[in-house]
Amino acid sequence: MQLQIILNGLALGSVYALIATGFSLIFNILKFSNFAHGATMAFCAFAGYFVAAANKMGLVPTIAVAVATGGLVALCGEFVAFRSITVRNASPIYYFVSSITLGTLLEGLVTIKAGANFYNYPLFFKKRIMKFHGLVISTSDVIMFCCSAAALLILVWVIRKTRLGRGLRAVSFDRDTAGLMGINVIRTIQFAFLLSGMLAGLAGVFLGINYTLYPTLGSLVVKGFIASVIGGLGSIAGALIGAVLLGLAETQLVNLVGSTLTPVLTFVIMLVFLLLRPRGIAGSNIQEKA
Amino acid sequence: MKRIVAILFTTVTLFTASLFGAGKEIVIGCLQDISGPTSSLGKMVEAGAKWHIDEINAKGGVNGAKIKMITYDTKADVNEAINALTRAITSDKVCAIIGPPIANIVLAIAPISEQYNVPILHLAVDIRSEIKDDGTTYKNTFGMQPNNLQMGAIMGQYAIKNGFKTFGVMYNQSNAYAVSLLEPFTKAVTAAGGTVVKEVAYTANDKDYKTLLSPLVSAKVDAIYMPNYTQDLILITQQARGLGYEGALIAGLDAGPPFNTMLGEDCDKIYYINNVDDTEPKLKDMIKAVKEKAGIDATNKFFLGYDIAGILNQVLAETGPDPDKIHDAMLKVKDYDGLTGKITIDPANHMPTGLEMVMFTYKGTTPVMLERYSAK
Repeated sequence: MQLQIILNGLALGSVYALIATGFSLIFNILKFSNFAHGATMAFCAFAGYFVAAANKMGLVPTIAVAVATGGLVALCGEFVAFRSITVRNASPIYYFVSSITLGTLLEGLVTIKAGANFYNYPLFFKKRIMKFHGLVISTSDVIMFCCSAAALLILVWVIRKTRLGRGLRAVSFDRDTAGLMGINVIRTIQFAFLLSGMLAGLAGVFLGINYTLYPTLGSLVVKGFIASVIGGLGSIAGALIGAVLLGLAETQLVNLVGSTLTPVLTFVIMLVFLLLRPRGIAGSNIQEKA
Repeated sequence: MKRIVAILFTTVTLFTASLFGAGKEIVIGCLQDISGPTSSLGKMVEAGAKWHIDEINAKGGVNGAKIKMITYDTKADVNEAINALTRAITSDKVCAIIGPPIANIVLAIAPISEQYNVPILHLAVDIRSEIKDDGTTYKNTFGMQPNNLQMGAIMGQYAIKNGFKTFGVMYNQSNAYAVSLLEPFTKAVTAAGGTVVKEVAYTANDKDYKTLLSPLVSAKVDAIYMPNYTQDLILITQQARGLGYEGALIAGLDAGPPFNTMLGEDCDKIYYINNVDDTEPKLKDMIKAVKEKAGIDATNKFFLGYDIAGILNQVLAETGPDPDKIHDAMLKVKDYDGLTGKITIDPANHMPTGLEMVMFTYKGTTPVMLERYSAK
């Protein structure tokens, strides 16, 4: 029973990890919380759904559509909502306002198309569960866990090993100095949005598979935000750690105290982190290195 | 001067036209969840009501007056619903309202409706939509389908009759509909010798139910009772089956179509209650006609909306658009032969008496009618 709850927590944590990483990536570069990230997830999830439903596509093409849509939407969002603020080096509060506005716009577009109803992805897996020594493991959870892990490993590799990734780290560390060193700051920011949007697409599809599709699906971004705060805002590794811990904590709390008290205790945990360790678990070291 | 005369002339003309127009039209409101999580219910009620009103208007209307139905969107939100109700009554001067399909909204507007003299004919099953804490009735709310006590008891009795002995219960504790159907079911089951092994509650924002479902699955209960809305039912079904639970799942009205198509897989061992048997020839013909003309698949809420509009038209024919008279006539509705059964309103509680309900299950994704039950 306990091991089953841990497995459930890991599955939940892997979804939160996808949300938190995309969220954290933008915080890392531009130092603001991109609340449009949730609406981007919902937008991509619906794009994947409508294309998949119309063409009777399987999981992989559906993910491909959602990921591509996510990258495109994030790039457009960066240009429309954030570019001028970056260029003018304006106050971070404008980023915040802009991200809320962009999120509302995307959610509104989804509502116009989907009509505020909810939808369900087609059944992608013939075998829904796997049993292993008394443990029941959902196929979708395993695939989601593997996809999340693969995506995040690729992300870490891109950030650590590629030229663009090095640029990303440099810009996150000091945007002005990076510019003086010959790094194209705007292109690097675009790259961060592209990656973030693609992660949003991936997260959107798995959220849709696990929790049905509805226009306010993006409200789950709050979980990504909490995971980021616990892990350390702006730290990719911290976001991962925070997300897994949050997933585990939530499932344990639900088991121990029930569903009603769990959100209250989750927010208490977040407040304790903010009070005792504002930079989260990962702390400044990982945060600076991204 | 010419301008002033022109404005005066236009104003007088419009006023006169509106006076003449008022005589040829009866305005009713349709306060529904057109958007939001329960929009599939609200839209279906609206479509059913509109279908009936179009039929009446095509035959010349009520005593020569055409019925005009104005729809207001509650957005499944209490504040929006209250604002829309106020607007309908004070601004658009509707004489009666075809009301919301869900209990949370009706419970919120029931006290507000006390200050207005406009009857609201709604579909919430929670008896608190009609009965106040002190046992008296809200003057203007009328329930138009069997209430929670009747529905819960029917499901409980049916479950025991079919050999289920142990039950787990999973319900949304922030949903009045789910909560209201809990106790009557438990009472019926316990009275007939069954046992509710464990109850688990969740809140509106929860989406991951696996941890909550685990103890029910581990207890190997014969059936899980889940009196919730469609989206929750889909998630609970998927996650319960995902945890390897192979027992029965018993749900309220919202496991009826389009639940089966939205779930997207076989719905075997899922039992639900319904207002109508849509395999009856009369209903099958109507479903076909609605599909051809309106392009929608009529579900139980369509027929409930149709019946409400029918009762309202019958009452309007007797009273005209006078809300007080409509109210009094509503209390005297007897043996109205609707698609959902013979409807008689009990003046003591503003709810129908003796309406039957139908138990269904699925074979694959096809609904299979099991048994009719009187909801007395």
